[in-house]
Amino acid sequence: MKSMLGKRALSSFVSLFVLIVLVFFLSRLTGDPAALYLPVDASEEMRHNFREIHGLNDPLMVQFGRYMADLARLDFGDSLRKARPALDVVLEAFIWTLWLALVTMALVAVAAIVVGSIAAFHVGRPFDRFASVLSLIGASAPDFWVAIVGIVIFAVNLGWLPTSGTGTVWHWILPIAVLFIRPFGLILQVVRGAMITALGSAYVKTARAKGVRNRPIIFVHTLRNAMLPVITVIGDQAAALLNGAVVVETIFGFPGVGKLMIDSILQRDFNVILASIMVTAIAIFIMNILIDIAYALLDPRIRA
Amino acid sequence: MSRSMLLGSLFAAAGALTPAFAQDASVTVVLAEEPDLVEPCMATRSNIGRIVLGNISETLTELDVRGGEGLKPRLAESWELVDDGTWRFHLRQGVTFSDGSAFDAEDVKHSFERAGSDQITCEISRYYEGIEITPTVVDAHTIDFTAEPAQPILPLLLSLLTIVPSETPIEFTREPVGTGPYVMTDWTPGQSITLERRGDYWGEQPEVARATYVFRADPSVRAAMVAAGEADIAPSISAIDATTDMDVAYPNSETTYLRIDHSVPPLNDKRVREALNLAIDRDAFIGTVLAAGTEIAVAIVPPTTLGWNGDIEPWGYDPERAKALLAEAKADGVPVDAEILLVGRTANFPGATETFEAIQSMLSEVGFNVRLQMVEVAEHEQYYSKPYVQTQPILVGAQHDNSRGDPVFSMYFKYHSEGRQSGIADARVDELIEAATAATGEKREALWRELFAYLHDEVIADVLLFHMVGHARVGERVDFTPTIATNSQLQLAEIGLK
Repeated sequence: MKSMLGKRALSSFVSLFVLIVLVFFLSRLTGDPAALYLPVDASEEMRHNFREIHGLNDPLMVQFGRYMADLARLDFGDSLRKARPALDVVLEAFIWTLWLALVTMALVAVAAIVVGSIAAFHVGRPFDRFASVLSLIGASAPDFWVAIVGIVIFAVNLGWLPTSGTGTVWHWILPIAVLFIRPFGLILQVVRGAMITALGSAYVKTARAKGVRNRPIIFVHTLRNAMLPVITVIGDQAAALLNGAVVVETIFGFPGVGKLMIDSILQRDFNVILASIMVTAIAIFIMNILIDIAYALLDPRIRA
Repeated sequence: MSRSMLLGSLFAAAGALTPAFAQDASVTVVLAEEPDLVEPCMATRSNIGRIVLGNISETLTELDVRGGEGLKPRLAESWELVDDGTWRFHLRQGVTFSDGSAFDAEDVKHSFERAGSDQITCEISRYYEGIEITPTVVDAHTIDFTAEPAQPILPLLLSLLTIVPSETPIEFTREPVGTGPYVMTDWTPGQSITLERRGDYWGEQPEVARATYVFRADPSVRAAMVAAGEADIAPSISAIDATTDMDVAYPNSETTYLRIDHSVPPLNDKRVREALNLAIDRDAFIGTVLAAGTEIAVAIVPPTTLGWNGDIEPWGYDPERAKALLAEAKADGVPVDAEILLVGRTANFPGATETFEAIQSMLSEVGFNVRLQMVEVAEHEQYYSKPYVQTQPILVGAQHDNSRGDPVFSMYFKYHSEGRQSGIADARVDELIEAATAATGEKREALWRELFAYLHDEVIADVLLFHMVGHARVGERVDFTPTIATNSQLQLAEIGLK
């Protein structure tokens, strides 16, 4: 298992380097930040001066060399717009995204596994039908719409929750509820499918024949076998959340990394783009390694 | 199902707890975007100015946007012309900065020099470009500004210069210090900015003791926040949401137009430009795609600007005449069939895409061959500013904001042959702009009037479309009327509490 993790870390590191090179050059192809930072009627002299201050007049290779040299000292450069270290800006936002993703995925995983297992156990019965319809509706509802409707109902009309923002635990409920819906629907379907297959297998019949009751059959025998595909999908969905929930962050004024990334791309704030991509990439690599470990724990065949 | 049960119980629990709303003399203002900096020298950028101008930082002079008083004293008590190029400002005494230091002429000098420093890119400095201005301290409370060439509107230009203490380092600050009635006490990036009233402000104490700014990109959420009582003022909400009696429409000082590059045929032909103007049914937009209250423009600056010419007749909607003009031009060999690219900016204003689509179809109806391309802001900039893309005739749909009271802030850039966004090169226009810029009083007004008429009727410089309106939602607790300047500044002192 150690050698597997070592290989994983090495390939992650190579991917990260390729990512940095690609993003560095591609983002610089998209346009001149001076044109966006300065007012439209600024003179060429002001523009030149701006580029000079921020080292944008140098050849691209020189800029890249300087960036990598700074990076080796863990200096991610300053944000062009905010005039402070890009890494500070990104980490500040990433913490919010990380919490949002963790809480949402924890709730989703528990809810989807429980509901999915019960549905699989009662295939074709009303509970199963109801769960399926609900999850399909959830998986196909556009999140911006759900978010706005949620605000209108629960904040404006009922006055139970704050519309948006951060501050109290109440502020987290609507964003998490909106983020919950889609992965819940998806993971529930995967759990249900995997469980139906597992429940139909020979060892379940044997267990039943021995008189084992329903609860242990679900939670001891079948769930562990059905978990492998489920973990893959959970990882996939968690990665999407770690990249930032742009729509939810924008609507709820949640200071996460998704909106930061979009804003920094629109403003050509190169150092923030690069820092946020690196931070989220590293988080996703770490998560993938955790998933590999989970696989290994669940399935002895992988541990080799 | 477990989800709905879980949420249901959470909501029920939440119902027992009402969120603590702003109370007493506090107000909450919800803005569309958080400023990247709260830097006084960047206050001409609207998202920064709304927080800084008149609240944290003050200027020597101030333009009266509520009444008709014109330029009013603020940190300067009075000013006069000493000789041709020199203005003398007499500064208010007994004024202190929020850090406790006293305000004097050295602060003014430092503020001016800092704003123009080439070590930082302060936006204000662009207004002083091409003018050699030298501040000279006469005594602690008197300062001279000498301008070369002479600047008759120097006192107006100084309404943009925010004053910082002379100890302020050149680099951008994150802790702004000013002489204004408020001081910034908290800034949590991504969440909120808080200003609190100073006890030692030199002027009248404003009613609002504390203001919290929060930021929501979505206009419906901004409107919902005021409706739910979480915010008191949302200066900009979408027209679609502006349906309650809390909502007010106000001219937002933006003017929409199509910029024409006159150097590329067929747009170099005046008949073709007239046909463009006649083909668009401007009335049809108002109250449909654009909000009711939108006005048809005859100049690139709003009617509250000096020299605005009310005698100019807007171009009517006359597709038959437009077709005839095109036929006439075609007969003379003008390539009127050439494909014209219409460039619009997505989300430039609410309904931008629909507006440009309608314009495209109206132009096509009279026989123009128009292709519409909606682009994002950075790409738009490549079409909007020189050097122009000239691979084909191009119309650039754009918005221009001038709430500063004088056309000088617009006309050079938009119409002088050297202007960065000018589509024309007309000797008479250049002369008029230069003469008006150097003139004062009635003569200045008359020259601007003449220029507006000449551009609209004789040159047919562009396709002027609309003076836009914005919508604000103001909660029941506060008393606030937005003005044409609300886009660029929002003085808390102008907010009353009920």
